[in-house]
Amino acid sequence: MKNPISIGLAAATCLSMVAALFMVFVYVPTEAEQGIVQRIFYFHLPCAWVAFLGFGIVALAGGLYLWLGHKVWDDLSYAAAELGMLFCTLVLVTGSIWAKPIWGVWWTWDSRLTTTFILWLLYGSYLLLRAFADDTDGIARFAAVLGIVGVLDIPIIIISVRLWRTIHPAVLLTRQGEHGLQDLRMVATLLVSLAAFTIMFVWLLWMRVATLRLRTRIVRLRRTLALRELAEAHR
Amino acid sequence: MLEGFGPILRKDLRLEVRTGESTVVLVSISVLILVVMVLAFGPAGARRAEVAAGALWTALIFAGTMGATRALLSERESGCLRGLLLSPVEPATIYAAKLSVAMIFMAQAGIAVLVVLVLFFNLDFGGALLRLLPVFLLGIVGLAALCTLLATVSGRVRAGAMLLPVMVVPLFAPALIAGSKASAAVLAGQPLGAVITWLKLLGAFDVLFVTAGYLLFEHVIFED
Amino acid sequence: MAEVVLQAQRIAKFFGERPVLYGLDLTLRAGQAAVIVGRNGVGKSTLIKILCGLSPPSAGRLWLFGQEPRSMAAQQFRRVGVLLHQSLLYPRLTCRENMEFYSELFAIPDAGAHARRWLERVGLQRAADELVSALSRGMEQRLGIARAMLADPDLILLDEPFAAMDADGVALVSSLVREALAREAAVIFTAHAPLEIAGVDLRMFKLESNGLTPFKDEGRRGSLRNLLRRN
Repeated sequence: MKNPISIGLAAATCLSMVAALFMVFVYVPTEAEQGIVQRIFYFHLPCAWVAFLGFGIVALAGGLYLWLGHKVWDDLSYAAAELGMLFCTLVLVTGSIWAKPIWGVWWTWDSRLTTTFILWLLYGSYLLLRAFADDTDGIARFAAVLGIVGVLDIPIIIISVRLWRTIHPAVLLTRQGEHGLQDLRMVATLLVSLAAFTIMFVWLLWMRVATLRLRTRIVRLRRTLALRELAEAHR
Repeated sequence: MLEGFGPILRKDLRLEVRTGESTVVLVSISVLILVVMVLAFGPAGARRAEVAAGALWTALIFAGTMGATRALLSERESGCLRGLLLSPVEPATIYAAKLSVAMIFMAQAGIAVLVVLVLFFNLDFGGALLRLLPVFLLGIVGLAALCTLLATVSGRVRAGAMLLPVMVVPLFAPALIAGSKASAAVLAGQPLGAVITWLKLLGAFDVLFVTAGYLLFEHVIFED
Repeated sequence: MAEVVLQAQRIAKFFGERPVLYGLDLTLRAGQAAVIVGRNGVGKSTLIKILCGLSPPSAGRLWLFGQEPRSMAAQQFRRVGVLLHQSLLYPRLTCRENMEFYSELFAIPDAGAHARRWLERVGLQRAADELVSALSRGMEQRLGIARAMLADPDLILLDEPFAAMDADGVALVSSLVREALAREAAVIFTAHAPLEIAGVDLRMFKLESNGLTPFKDEGRRGSLRNLLRRN
């Protein structure tokens, strides 16, 4: 765990996160129409970005596992799914906090909300599958297949949900990203925040994969131990 | 390329004709779901195209997960799946055969639901029912593709039977939206041309998941 | 020397953390027969599942006809005949339907006649139209063996073929094994006690507490130690 990459990532996360917090709370001007609550957007969008990134990694690592068969890809896939679930949940939570004062409701079946919610369900089913399966080699393949199928589904989900909502025109089509960011300071804050969240995601991913690798090593050591005990018994 | 497809399909249909189990279970489950929906919405509600379409697709999803499970179940007895894997048959061919069986089971359930819908609630959809056919067919292809692939997974996992709908429903969500919207429009008397976008979406979904299932099946079918 | 049909190299199998098999080497050439003897629960069935390519080993390598099972084309499985602990027969199809189904699956021309011939061969012609679920254990075993041998495979793996067999059944299996060897097939099967088949030069291996040794061989401990060093 105490290797330079891990320490470097931790340091980078701290620095960039402090910078992002400073910019969000001090540097960036308050948005005129929405007021103070608009600032949550600088966390909301980065969360959505890493949640999508997580899904991409789940499928990519899953594919690599099916192709190359090395356990590290499965560990990466699993770790990315867990983090993806975390950030997908944060997207929904921060979105609701923002929506209540601006839209007047915690939740509406807007197209982006619906898409994110379906993504969240996909992550959920992936993690449930992993939780339900006993720790066999098979589950790695099953999970990889589910992850790949899930990512293939995303474009169709986005298209269908968009069509679904345009047929019944939504009342609330104001998107936070489409106005209010004319100020360059807002753009800068968003970019720094995006960078901070990405670095944090990579750091968390790194640590989680390291933990899962350790788990694999423990199983291997226990197997060797079991063999050694058998050998003793036969001496 | 599909060597062995015919024998597996014939064998499964013969088993089904002999016992009739899947047909009975699937038809009763889907009709029950329909009745539940109708009781909840009231008979007047069921005459509305949107509710009827929603009931149809709800019944289909659950019949679909069960149908795919049933199609694979015949291979679980006495380890017959191993017999197939030890035969000169490509895993993808086994997938194609099981997909077809699942589709046949789902089609039965779907037709049963439609018949009940029309008979018991005096619906007069007329030619709309005929126009519903392409929507319905495109829907069950995608559903069967997804369910067959994932039923293989859930069959290997503790409490898998409960897990199957949890995996299938979010994945099927876009097709569910497209299918129920298109069905509602068609039942309300609109021509097929009006729902062509939804049909295209369903078609894309089918192509994507039949291909994915065909290619990925070999990764879920083997054991450890 | 005849073609190497099956080669297993330092195969190990774990269920979770529990070792079931380890350090297992085996080479079988065309025309050779081997029996693996071991007590119940020692891993014989697991071994057969690994050797036929159905279940991948946790460590070590396996070649069938010079290829690793997962990279074998499905068509290659035409050359492998397997009887597992389960009979692999559909309980709700009749004997005839089962044999016809598998004959079609193996793309044997005139599946009906082929199935009939095999049913006669294993003495089940009178039970041909009975459901497999109605068969006795011994009869199902006969049909399972017929299923395994139906396409004249070059490698035959049988898990406890003599279990539940009467005297006729034992004679039948023995003669089927002799025939297979006569056409240069390789045969490997398991049994819970040492046995002989008249007219067959049977290599006997003992599977004991998870290791495989030829009878009267003391080299096993050495090989186990080697395995530990490699891990």
